[in-house]
Formats: sequence, structure tokens, C-alpha cells
Amino acid sequence: MSHWLELFVHWTAGVGLNYGFVLDAYQRGSLEQGALTTLLLCLFTIVGSLLAGVGLAAMLTSGKPWLAKPARVFIEVTRNTPTLVQLYCAFLVLNMLLTQAVGAANPLTPFAWVVIVISLHKGAFHAEALRAGIEAVPSVTMEAASSLAFSSRQLLWNVQLPLALRFALPSLINNLIDLVKMTAVASAIAVGDITYAAIMIWTQSDNVLELMILILSFFGLLSFIVNCVGRYLEARLRMPGYGH
Amino acid sequence: MAIESSVGATLAWPRRHVGKLLLLLCTVLWLLWFAPQSPVSKALLQWSPALAAGFGQNILISLVAIGLGSFLGLLVGALALSPLGLMRLPARIWVQVFRNAPWLVLIYFTTYVFPFEIHVGSTYVPFPDWVKVTIGLALPASANVAEIFRGAIASIPSTQWEAARSLAFTRGQIFRSIILPQCFKRMLPPWMNLYAVITMGTALASLVGVHDVIDTAQIASNTVNLTGFTVVIYLSLLVLFFAYCYPISRLTQCLERRYAFY
Repeated sequence: MSHWLELFVHWTAGVGLNYGFVLDAYQRGSLEQGALTTLLLCLFTIVGSLLAGVGLAAMLTSGKPWLAKPARVFIEVTRNTPTLVQLYCAFLVLNMLLTQAVGAANPLTPFAWVVIVISLHKGAFHAEALRAGIEAVPSVTMEAASSLAFSSRQLLWNVQLPLALRFALPSLINNLIDLVKMTAVASAIAVGDITYAAIMIWTQSDNVLELMILILSFFGLLSFIVNCVGRYLEARLRMPGYGH
Repeated sequence: MAIESSVGATLAWPRRHVGKLLLLLCTVLWLLWFAPQSPVSKALLQWSPALAAGFGQNILISLVAIGLGSFLGLLVGALALSPLGLMRLPARIWVQVFRNAPWLVLIYFTTYVFPFEIHVGSTYVPFPDWVKVTIGLALPASANVAEIFRGAIASIPSTQWEAARSLAFTRGQIFRSIILPQCFKRMLPPWMNLYAVITMGTALASLVGVHDVIDTAQIASNTVNLTGFTVVIYLSLLVLFFAYCYPISRLTQCLERRYAFY
């Protein structure tokens, strides 16, 4: 392992890039920790945003104004304000109020706040995609299902969502790639993700360019993996006549 | 008949928006009666010019970024349409790299990699932070504009190309007088959408030390140091961005609906 690293450092030094920091155990450790944090952040927010998206889409398409109106307002506000401002509103305002209310027993860490905010933010985008998918389900299918005595919850869960998922999959994957990139915002409230770890390293030793190339390729790899999983799911879930 | 329907519409209007109107009325009453005495609203009033100046900085960054991004993006998009594979390749790489990089990382990139002053002749010209952030936002904007441009051209039915060629137009003539005029219409909604997204992206400028609206809000909340004020100032950030971006998004939806069948 270290032999390969030394070879890599030697080779990049030939191109004029100083990757000496990967040989330093402490700096390499903090980068690896940051990469792990970003991965965890991505996994949690992907699951959270999909749950939030399904919930919001269910509210939107419920046909009850007292459910659909608040969901619509939430989605419009979320889509038209910056993620960073939402994060600050949650972490600096809600977290402060929570700490004042319960004292040091506040259970929510900055990591948890980032997961909550990004999940809800991307959930709003998922909800729009899923809503379009749910509305694209032919009304004949719905009538057939309800004539078989499906309740409205069963109708949503067993008929509408499986079909809506197929319609919405391309835009859901697009949103998820956006979500992976968005996790870099976590560094703004000192969650130790890979961006934060890189900032910590480059403030000590002046090697911004090398770290930037590293981070960009890391995020490129993550989005590539999400893209591949999306392609696989699209091929796997393909039903002739539904979706693309 | 027409008169009747318009009368019906004016009667229906306040009934449809009764919740919003009530909310507006309550806010106005609250502002008139209770707000002037509280220290929170005094502080907000005192800080509002600074907030407005900060938001002006955000809008300036977004406008320059979309201008620069559109210019670059059209160049890259034109390259991507070239019949020569050798010229398409750099355009493809440009689009792939800048669409797949996180904006925050690109902003850090331009802020730390570019020098803080440029040597021109014998003098040093300062290279301010906000210009670097603008370039950092213009790069992903250009990649997105290139994709919008390419998509718009590709969405013109190929029969139009064939019909134009059969009328002995040259490739340049087909572009200038047949394809491009239709493309502008199709590009407008996604381009406006991109502008709204970039405006929201300018919020990231505060992280690299540009004195924008979020930086101002943080300074204000630390200076005044009242719980109520902190809540109000961060909410007013939300309101400011929402008030700027929501009309753009509504207009985009209207345009999309109007151009949907062309």
C-alpha cells in the first residue's frame, strides 16, 4: 500500500504536483475520515430524501386541500431558496432555540442537521418528479384497481408508486447526483466531510490545486457510481409501456 | 357574456385567496401596532440598508456570472455541434467536468488557485474575491448553457434541416435564419431556470469571505446578539431569496406552458 503511495507521489512530483501529504499518516487519516463522512452523509441523505419525497408526493396527490396546500407551499419555498440559507436557518436558528429549550441534552449534531436539511431539500425535488409520475398513471389502471377494492393507501403503495417510480427514475437519479454534490455544503457548519478535511490540510500546507483535483475526482467517482446504479435500476425495472 | 364572466372572476378572486389575504392583513396589523416598540424590529430596521447592500452584491455576482456563463456556454455549445470530432471532444470534456463538480468546490477552486492580484505592466491590479466567485459560478453555468443550447438545437425536427437543404440553403444560412430563431424560444425557460439556480448559488460566496447578504446577516446577528433578532434575520434571508427567485420560477413556468406546442 505505502509502496504504491510513494510511487504515486514520486510520479505526480514529476508532473509538478506535490502530493507529499498522502504519506503523512495524520493528514491521510483525516482525509480518509472525511471521505467516509461524505459517504455516510450521501447514504443517509439519499434514503432520507427518498422517504421525504414519497411523503410529499403522497400529500400532493392526495386530493385533500389541507394536505396538498402545505406540501405545495413547502416545496415552493424549498425550491426557491438557497440550501445554505436553509442550513443556516436550521442549524443557527432552530438548533439555537432547541439548545435554549433543552440545554446540553440537545440530541442533534451538525451531521444530523445536514442530513435533515438536505433530505428535505432534495425531497421536495423528488416529490415533484414523483407527482408527475403518479399523475401519468392511466386513470383506467386506477379504476381497475379500485374496482378490485384496493383502499386508497394500497392504491398509492401497490399501484401508483411502482409505476410512478418507473416514470420518475431518470429525474430521481438526476436529483440524487445533485444531492451527492450538495453534501459539500456540510463543510459550512464544520461537519468533517472531505471538503472540510481538505480545507484543514490546505490551510496548513499550501497545496490547494492538488487537493482540489483529489476532491473533484472523489465527487466525480461518487456521481459516477450513482449514475451506474441508476442505469442498472432503469434496465432492471423496465416494463414495456411504462417509463423509458 | 364576456362581461358576465369577468364580473364573476372579480367576485371569485377574493374568495379564492381568502387565506392569503387574511395572512397579509395580520402581518400588516402586526407591523403597524406591535413592531415599532420591540428592540428586534428596531435592530432590523437599522440593519436593513446593510442587508440590501449585501443582497445587491449577490445580484451583481449572479448577473455577471450568467452573462459570462452564457457567452462561454454558447461558444462551448457551438463547438459541441461541430462536425469535426476533434473539436467536439474538448467541449464534451468541459461540459462533463463542470456539470459534475460541486459548485462549492469550484468556488473554493477559483478563490484559492487564482492570484489575489495580477501584475499588469508595472502596476499590480487587485483581483477581488467577488470576481473570483463570479468566475467560479460562471464555469458550471457555461457547461449548463452549452447543454441547453445543444438540447435546443437537437430538439428542432430533422425534417426542417432536410427541407432547408432541399431549398439550397447552406449550413450557415440554415443555422442563422431557420434553426437559431426557433432555438431562442426553447432556450429561454431553462436559461431563466439556470439564472434562478445561480442566484441561489451566490449564497455560497459568503463561505469564501465575500461580503454578501449572508455574511452581513451573520455579522448583524453576532453584533445585536438577541435570540429574536437572530431568528428574524435568518428568516428574512429566506424571504429575500424567495422574493427574488419565486417570480422568476413562475415566469419560467408560464413561458414553458406557452411555448409547449411549438
